[in-house]
Amino acid sequence: MTALVSHLKLLEAESIHIFREAAAQFRSPVLLYSIGKDSTVLLHLARKAFWPAKPPFPLLHVDTTWKFRDMIAFRDKTARDFGLDLIVHTNHEGLARNINPFDHPPSVYTDVMKTVALRQALDAGGFDAAFGGARRDEEASRAKERVFSFRSAGHRWEPRRQRPEMWQLLNGRLGKGETVRVFPLSNWTEGDVWRYIQQEKLDVVPLYFAAERPVVVRDGQLIVVDDERMRFEPGEKPEMRKVRFRTLGCWPLTAAIESDATTLDAVVEETLAAKVSERAGRLIDHDQAGAMEMKKREGYF
Amino acid sequence: MQVAALQEAISSAPFAAPASQAAGMVKLLTCGSVDDGKSTLIGRLLWDAAGVTEDQRAAIALASHNRAVNGEKIDFSLLLDGLQAEREQGITIDIAWRYFETGDRRFVIIDSPGHEQYTRNMATGASHADIAILLVDARYGPKRQTRRHAAICDLVGIKKVILAVNKMDLVDWSEARYRAIEAEFAALAGSFGFTEIRTIPVAALTGDNVAYRSARMPWYAGPTLLDYLETVDPKAIAADAPFRMPVQLVLRASGDFRGYAGTITSGRVKVGDRIVDARSGLGATLKRIATMGGDRPSAGTGDAVTLVLDTDLDISRGAVLSEQARRPINADVIEARLVWLSEAPFDPESGYLLRTATDLTPVTSMSVSALVDFETLAASPAHACAMNDIADCRILLGRATALDLFRDLPLTGNFILVSAIDGATVAGGVITWAQSGAPEVGDKVFVLNRELLANGLCSDLGDSPADLAEFNRRAQEVASLLRSIGVPVLVEI
Repeated sequence: MTALVSHLKLLEAESIHIFREAAAQFRSPVLLYSIGKDSTVLLHLARKAFWPAKPPFPLLHVDTTWKFRDMIAFRDKTARDFGLDLIVHTNHEGLARNINPFDHPPSVYTDVMKTVALRQALDAGGFDAAFGGARRDEEASRAKERVFSFRSAGHRWEPRRQRPEMWQLLNGRLGKGETVRVFPLSNWTEGDVWRYIQQEKLDVVPLYFAAERPVVVRDGQLIVVDDERMRFEPGEKPEMRKVRFRTLGCWPLTAAIESDATTLDAVVEETLAAKVSERAGRLIDHDQAGAMEMKKREGYF
Repeated sequence: MQVAALQEAISSAPFAAPASQAAGMVKLLTCGSVDDGKSTLIGRLLWDAAGVTEDQRAAIALASHNRAVNGEKIDFSLLLDGLQAEREQGITIDIAWRYFETGDRRFVIIDSPGHEQYTRNMATGASHADIAILLVDARYGPKRQTRRHAAICDLVGIKKVILAVNKMDLVDWSEARYRAIEAEFAALAGSFGFTEIRTIPVAALTGDNVAYRSARMPWYAGPTLLDYLETVDPKAIAADAPFRMPVQLVLRASGDFRGYAGTITSGRVKVGDRIVDARSGLGATLKRIATMGGDRPSAGTGDAVTLVLDTDLDISRGAVLSEQARRPINADVIEARLVWLSEAPFDPESGYLLRTATDLTPVTSMSVSALVDFETLAASPAHACAMNDIADCRILLGRATALDLFRDLPLTGNFILVSAIDGATVAGGVITWAQSGAPEVGDKVFVLNRELLANGLCSDLGDSPADLAEFNRRAQEVASLLRSIGVPVLVEI
């Protein structure tokens, strides 16, 4: 048998192909940059796709104001280092209503500060396409996603109205009022993302590596206290534990895991041996059955 | 857990496969109806090959218990039917993508719906696959839809198929039954372009011959499903295929950098090679293969690269860069076989665009000549087609575009049809014949017109839709025969 090409190389080429198809077909794309490991890979692939030119689109970060401080610092450094335009958008209306992850259920908080905020930012920028780092291996409704995921007016996802995608051919012709979410990492898994970060020697947010951090245990989940806004339950007191994150979101809603993985190699090893799926640490997905499908229908990416 | 007990009943003696050095990716299509146990087979493969995490296992076990469709057993199909509507109806509507790996090999499972009303979804899924698993129930053997699935796999270019004869437990693990099905399928598959057909007896519910070797079918000496998947070579494109790179976009950067970005769809290219733009016929020499990781001396099929030429060809997106000797066809008339995907049927008055690798060309006129009958696999004359139909058609383009025949080079020989009105993808197809530039009338061209045919060959035909379709079919047939002996023909009917 002839030697086959490494699957990371195939995935990289496929993602570059997708970036170029979208850049060629859409008028005004934007890259949804959420600072995490998937965004790190997404941005690296975008830089490769258009090199030696810069990616022909800005980065957009939807800031809920509840991101870890390390994430914000990493975001600003990344945009500066690569000389990229960064748009930061916050739903100020939600902020004025004091929508926050302590007083509101995760579904309400996520809808206002993430989904609505994203729609506001896309409408304000007049973007017809938005690159996202979603992967089909993340969750059941994502397993059915297209690479070019069409959204009708109001950014709604209609599973039954998605366009068939045959072979390598990606059809970017928009109907009236339609916009598109583009997912270049569709066929990547969590393990691929880490192996690629390792192979390409990419910088990631330090929160992915194990360190002593102040933690409270709530409903069996490890919640890292990032600033003075934390509200403690009676009797709760933060203790120092060696933890890291598999996935990064808003800090009181993203649980950490106990880990000794302080290097990239150790993180990759731990990820490939993991016995629970990565979204187990995302509290917003457990709110109700089919939670992700509901959120996507409402315009979450 | 009950599953563990089931596994113990199965010997885990490994199949003596050759040691595989293979890495890479295998894209696997699964087809068959719910009744054949398709989702159960794939769920079983994921479960046993360790692609399922503990929290997912717990969720599936809980959901299985709630639905109790399987008694107290684990319902493996729950691993696949992701959308709420699908869970409620218990069927697979859309394609689901699943990933798992064993050793060095990555598997992508493309799970497609079996029902006939979802033929379009199946064709869509199949177009991404290297290998297809066709599932049949050992009690019934190949069915009408097995034939249909094989036809669709063949249409979209799948070269290797696995016939999984499932539910062997329900036929008492009978070798005779298995051999009869194997022979029946071999006869059926002979009419397709498959290069490799592997038949495997399995029982998805118990896991026999899926990931673990069955102790209950000692007469079977071949590989288990997983063994076979881990050793099969998925590549379909020949190593010596001609070089093609459809241009996705032109990249410009400081220092007068101008490069053509694209993915090489076939062949290899190296610095110093002579490259031509098929549409204009202009040539240049390849100066650099630029990537962010540094310049490369050569590149091959599947590589996403940026090519810098020594002279500017003034080309843009839609051009196909090719080697000098074996070039694409610069066609403005094509014949194709397609699957109709849109809920709106084909309408000759509606505007369509032909999307090839990276080009988008207006369709001047299009006609359907035949529909493929799934029962007989024969093409019968027709002039209309609707959702889920497989049709033969003829398309006249508003201008010439560079393309290949699908059987030679699939990635420059496939296309989708796009609605000019709302941008929807209405059909996907493969190019079976293409003409390089329509001949001009008067230039030794034979004009095959309506009068000529009505007076002779078609004098027995009337005005009914069936007769008109037959008229059209005969006209195209005559044109093909004349063209095959080198006579340029213009059909004007």
